[in-house]
Amino acid sequence: MTYRWDFTPLLDNWQALAMGAVGTVRLFAVCLVLGLGFGLIVALARRSRWRLARWVSIGFIEFFRNTPVLVQILWFYFALPMLVPVEITPFTAAIFGISLNSAAYSAEIYRAGIQSIEPGQWEAARAIGMSGLQTLRRIVLPQALRRVLPALTNRGIEIFKMTTLASVVAYIELLHQGKLIASLNFNPLEVYTVIGALFFLFLYPLVRATYALERRLARSD
Amino acid sequence: MYRWDFTPIWAHGDLLLAGLGNTLVLTAVALAGGLPVGLALALARLSGNRLMAAPAGLVIEVFRTTPPLVQLFWFYFGLPIILNVEMTPYLAAALTFTIQSGAFFAEIFRAGIVSVDKGQSESARAIGMSKAQAMRRIILPQAVKRMFPAMMERSIELMKTTTLVATVSYADLLYQANELAQKTFRPLEVFTAAALLYFVTITLVSALGALVERRMAQSGEMTR
Repeated sequence: MTYRWDFTPLLDNWQALAMGAVGTVRLFAVCLVLGLGFGLIVALARRSRWRLARWVSIGFIEFFRNTPVLVQILWFYFALPMLVPVEITPFTAAIFGISLNSAAYSAEIYRAGIQSIEPGQWEAARAIGMSGLQTLRRIVLPQALRRVLPALTNRGIEIFKMTTLASVVAYIELLHQGKLIASLNFNPLEVYTVIGALFFLFLYPLVRATYALERRLARSD
Repeated sequence: MYRWDFTPIWAHGDLLLAGLGNTLVLTAVALAGGLPVGLALALARLSGNRLMAAPAGLVIEVFRTTPPLVQLFWFYFGLPIILNVEMTPYLAAALTFTIQSGAFFAEIFRAGIVSVDKGQSESARAIGMSKAQAMRRIILPQAVKRMFPAMMERSIELMKTTTLVATVSYADLLYQANELAQKTFRPLEVFTAAALLYFVTITLVSALGALVERRMAQSGEMTR
């Protein structure tokens, strides 16, 4: 006896899936910008002159890298409202969890990039009269960012995959909509196959592009 | 100002610890399954036989590129329909994470195997070893040493990813925390305690990994 696949309920509900896709992309875009942006600040704080800034940044990186992102999202959703008298929506909780987690990971990527620039470049820039900040902005960061671009792209792909965790706090994204369709039509096999395929078809070209980018940068270096 | 009160958590600490135990069991099972699956996938992908390399490549790419939560739902809700069997949360979780970590381990194995100098397998063949012997006795022992840091990192990622099984009600640490939060109406304390438990466990495991890594590096120098 073989199971007969039936994709018609999914096709009938394409609008629900489209709505989910919009939610996924919205959450991804916000977390990508906040996560990679804040990560750079954390990385710079980690090499700051002030000990306090370094400690706070190391503590932040260690804590967010050594706890599961789902625990972080649930903490912001269920626990944070006890501390602060504001309502936390599923969207906000997911943004907090995923962005801070990605900031901790990307901070380490930026750090590796900045460290890979030889000290001679700093010294040369200082010698021609640039300030530390100018050196960082004009000389070091442009080269460091280029070197870590593949690692950052990988982080972006991870962020995209992580957005599915927001379904746990009932944020409306692809997987959440899939769950809804599956429970109404009793067709989880088709639903989760299609959702998985959608993610694969969208992300795999990006994965290949990252490989290509890596090879190109390796050759030009 | 919120008044923290951890007494309900101390009273039910055994629940959280039982959850942590289940987290560790699942991680260990997925590791024990994932490493051989990963090695098999890597060898198949490197075999040069297209009939083996193509399916292995597909499994590796699909499981590395799709979100783990979608994979878990597929195995838990979808697979029983094809196989016409009953699926338990534990079985679905073990299957998902065995194959998924296998896919990631496969790429680490592959990179490790490829990194061993080609002359090594050629000279092994020249002194009469079979391909399998050369792989087992010459290539893999060297590759494993180089792969260890990446393997360790992946195992820690695996442990963190197992939290997803709480969504299919496998009683891991996160699931127990969620139950306890509802029972005690103390989500702040419970989720904070759970986060700290994860943090301590994962920090200990990575410290242990770093220690083993240093030992291996030292013993490598001595034998040379």
